[in-house]
Amino acid sequence: MIAENSTQSFQWTYNENDQEFALHGSLRPQKAEELSKCISALDQSVSNVSGKFYVNVRRLVRMNNVAFHAIAGKILDLVRGRSDLDVHVTTSSVVGWATRKFAVLETMSEKITVSEYDSEFYPGQSFVEDSEFIHVLRTQTKLTWKHEKDLLREHGLKPGMQVADICCGIGDFAVLLQKEFSPDRLVALDHSKSSLDYARQVAADFGIKGIDYVFGDAADMLLEDDQFDFVTCRHSLQVFDRPELILKELFRICKPGGRIYVTNEKNSHCLGEPRGESIQWTYNEVAKLWHHFDMDIEIGPKSRRLLLEGGFEDVTIGSFMVTSTDGDPQGFADIIASWKNLFAGKMASERGDDAAFVERFAKGFDDHIFAALHPKGYAGWPIWVASGRKPL
Amino acid sequence: MLQMDLDIGDFCSNWAHCDLFSAYLARMVSHNRLDSLLFSNLYSSALNELLETVFRVHGNSGKLECSVRRQGGLDRIELVFPADEDTFAVYREAIDKLSGKDAEKLYLEALFTEDEPDASLGLLELGVDYGARLAIDRAGDGRMCLVAELTLEDENE
Repeated sequence: MIAENSTQSFQWTYNENDQEFALHGSLRPQKAEELSKCISALDQSVSNVSGKFYVNVRRLVRMNNVAFHAIAGKILDLVRGRSDLDVHVTTSSVVGWATRKFAVLETMSEKITVSEYDSEFYPGQSFVEDSEFIHVLRTQTKLTWKHEKDLLREHGLKPGMQVADICCGIGDFAVLLQKEFSPDRLVALDHSKSSLDYARQVAADFGIKGIDYVFGDAADMLLEDDQFDFVTCRHSLQVFDRPELILKELFRICKPGGRIYVTNEKNSHCLGEPRGESIQWTYNEVAKLWHHFDMDIEIGPKSRRLLLEGGFEDVTIGSFMVTSTDGDPQGFADIIASWKNLFAGKMASERGDDAAFVERFAKGFDDHIFAALHPKGYAGWPIWVASGRKPL
Repeated sequence: MLQMDLDIGDFCSNWAHCDLFSAYLARMVSHNRLDSLLFSNLYSSALNELLETVFRVHGNSGKLECSVRRQGGLDRIELVFPADEDTFAVYREAIDKLSGKDAEKLYLEALFTEDEPDASLGLLELGVDYGARLAIDRAGDGRMCLVAELTLEDENE
């Protein structure tokens, strides 16, 4: 059961299944009494709980000392008054003050633990943060940019706009945007500190200025409402278990009349000849593998529905195919080789696949590489591009 | 440098001014930082505590001036506001606590007190938790000056 209530600028939610009480928003009251309903809800939530009770402040963006005193005091009262109860507080690394502030609770009672939620914004985050994967990401962007440079114009991107690239990864797409479109403002956000460090270093090395790389959770950004003319989010809805939450945020930060632009894959449509049958089998299995990790690598053609259901209008969708005949067959083959290493390596291993499956699974990638490099062969990787306008 | 001037009575007419002003100024000064969002969020929290303190502890009438400036990685917030001797004493007591060896202990005591939190809790937090350097002085015309110097971003991160 979920109970929800709100006052002016903050909300609380109780999830009975997880024994988790969550606070969201901005909490800067003048007097503690303003939190009385929230404290009562906390009391009520914990009344039927024994064992571990979770207090989630990941989405609590602001909190003053009046609020902290009231909430922290209540948590201390709970663990001191209830021998059967421990409390765990989950903070977010996106909100700079939170972990430091709540960590002092651990010094007040051994029954209180505090940890920073950082590594699980996305089910596949640990996979895509692998340093080996950075090379793949760069090659992917290089090959897709040939197509997207023109597509971005067709979808409404113009020089001088206020632009945000959400889930910017290692930031190479943002660099290309900066060079090609000279936006008036360019914010590039990602949930991976290591990727952002890399992005900042690349920008510095290349003398690229004007990109504001920021750390954040795409599903709950600190960016303010109605700020950007054009918001891009590439290959990311597919690595998130609840893409609608990201779309909601993209909608929020986009100016009325502005557009959001998303690209996604449908990996089972990857193709190649010769050895098409083996290639087809493997990519069908890729889709199942991602599904196992709560990711949908088949989301590409679903983008139109997602945008329409997300409240966008004038939704446009199309697709393009990155192929081995685009001029860089070895680059294409390198991408597939990296997919093989990741999908038939770490991910298959984590799913517990047996050796016979992995061998056949890996062979499809080898065959795709074979097709890409074959003098008479052809290999393709299809990508769906969709954009929609936020209503005025 | 940014400066905001207004009558202390107007400022104190609405508690939400603390939140609004701190959020606005934080946004204005967050450009060209290592991470503008993280910085803005931290800066807003720190400035809000200062403004809330002034909201609660100030003299009867006069002008509130809030000026902010940046020098490299150091951000300086200067608040000048009406203050009689009793008001000044509250701030002096908080600064004295921060200069002692047991500042952290006093901060935690203030944070977890059974009573209503003391008005100077925000200053203690800034000094202990944010590592801010706080200073006060008399500004003439019945006002006082409260200065906070903060280093909110670690350039080595």
